[in-house]
Amino acid sequence: MPAFSAPVQNLVDELGRLPGIGPKSAQRIAFHLLKVPSEDALRLAQAIVAVKERVTFCPRCFNVAEGDLCIVCADDRRDPSVVCVVEDPRDVVAVEKTGGFSGRYHVLQGALSPIDGIGPDQLKIGELIARIEPEGISEVILCTNPNLEGEATAAYLARLLQPLGVRVTRIASGLPVGGDLEYADEVTLGRALEGRRVVESAAPAQTRPARADQG
Amino acid sequence: MYLRSLTLTDFRCLRELSFEPDPEGVTVVTGPNGTGKTSVLEAIAYLATQQSFRGVPRESLVRVGATAAVVRGVAVAGERSVSVDAEVSLATRSRMLVNGQPVRRRSDLDNGVQATVFTPEDTEVVRGGPAARRRFLDDAVALVTPVEAAHIETVERVLRQRAALLKRSHGHVNGDLATTLDVWDQRLAAAGTALSEARERVLSALAPEATETVTQLTGSRTAVGLTYRRSWNGSLEDALAAGRADDLVRGTTLVGPHRDDVELTLDGLAARTHASQGEQRTLALALRLATHRLATHRLATPPVLLLDDVFSELDHHRAASLLATVPPGQTLLTTAVPPPPTVPVAATIVLGQGAAA
Ligand SMILES: [Zn+2]
Repeated sequence: MPAFSAPVQNLVDELGRLPGIGPKSAQRIAFHLLKVPSEDALRLAQAIVAVKERVTFCPRCFNVAEGDLCIVCADDRRDPSVVCVVEDPRDVVAVEKTGGFSGRYHVLQGALSPIDGIGPDQLKIGELIARIEPEGISEVILCTNPNLEGEATAAYLARLLQPLGVRVTRIASGLPVGGDLEYADEVTLGRALEGRRVVESAAPAQTRPARADQG
Repeated sequence: MYLRSLTLTDFRCLRELSFEPDPEGVTVVTGPNGTGKTSVLEAIAYLATQQSFRGVPRESLVRVGATAAVVRGVAVAGERSVSVDAEVSLATRSRMLVNGQPVRRRSDLDNGVQATVFTPEDTEVVRGGPAARRRFLDDAVALVTPVEAAHIETVERVLRQRAALLKRSHGHVNGDLATTLDVWDQRLAAAGTALSEARERVLSALAPEATETVTQLTGSRTAVGLTYRRSWNGSLEDALAAGRADDLVRGTTLVGPHRDDVELTLDGLAARTHASQGEQRTLALALRLATHRLATHRLATPPVLLLDDVFSELDHHRAASLLATVPPGQTLLTTAVPPPPTVPVAATIVLGQGAAA
């Protein structure tokens, strides 16, 4: 038998599906919402409705957008030949804050993570490949997070992009390893962008000759 | 370094406990069985590693009936005093703060409390399976070369990612999956090789220290041999490529640092099969004390030494040599029996008088 009445249980279930919210927190937030004045709770509900109705994803780069293209893609002073690939729209904000990047973005909407069921098909990777030729992209900067999943995603993209003849670069190390871009300060991130290096191409593992014994 | 104060709330069976261990001598934690003696050491070790040395999930550290366990410590190293606060919560994510700053990875903890732990279960390092030896080695890597500790976490995480990918493949590989596997294998090869090398380095530094410690504990010259056995030959990336077909069938990674082992010998004979129980215990203790000495060199100050129930395992003579063997510094030890008269007790904490629930 459920512990709460159906509407309360519904709310607990919905809250529990949010990232970082466990069952106990979901209950606590649900009972908090029951207690607060109606207008406070409705303001939250309206904010969610507004964001879902008015904010969409840019059809070109998958950054958040209000209307058609996002503000970066809509700005024709931006250099279309350089694209900075990030995991998340929040990373666009982080790179924009450095003031050191004048190209366009591509938001993958995540990083490779088999544990979470995220493979290449769950990310906006096909969409990135499809942009290369029509937009005349000559450099792709891999600006995924400097953690395990971000590095794996960057390595995967490098293998896909290199045969297309674009210059593939990776932001310089020097960012706190294991961290997220959004935690890096503007100066550090700006330096990492400036100091980006060309990714060396890697042959597939099966065809690479065996190396000398290291063990 | 030493721990100036420790406060526990709802940690294991301890509802509330607060005390100041002796800064440089031996603090004895005593009381009847079931009053939480080992839990006191476990709490200090938690501040050092954010893990239970009993190898249990964090949630089991919360007192039954409570929703969160809190451990607060103040560590002092030279002029510096550092607060380390840990909260294990059943409702939200567990948190840890060093001087008020959130801890993101294991090496962040190196600015706070360092501890060497010896428990009776450590005999498993000598007698048990390879997993116990790898755990011991990784503890030693974290304590002696903390910058390398990041590889431990990376390897664990890549292995979980790789296992998920292998399971998802149901044994079939298309081009896309092969590329994705290549990428994870590259990560595993880099972190895995670095971890095995870090373990090998720590092991070769440990061997002479362990020999000296065993010799001091037993009073007779005994050579300790520590040989690392990798689960692969050549480069790990090639070994992973060669083993891929098997891995796909089994849904798990069959080579890597998570399959490595250490061969322990006493005077050339395998300690696992040829040493007596007493010798095995002495070797296990010596390995921890050797780590303690190496960490003392690195930090220029000994970590807190935590000895759980050590006198039930050692006779009076060895107990006395034990304390003569360790570098001077703060020591906390639990005992259900009165400590041998040779032990210079500086302070005593008696549990079971209102502290425990
Ligand atoms: Zn856009």
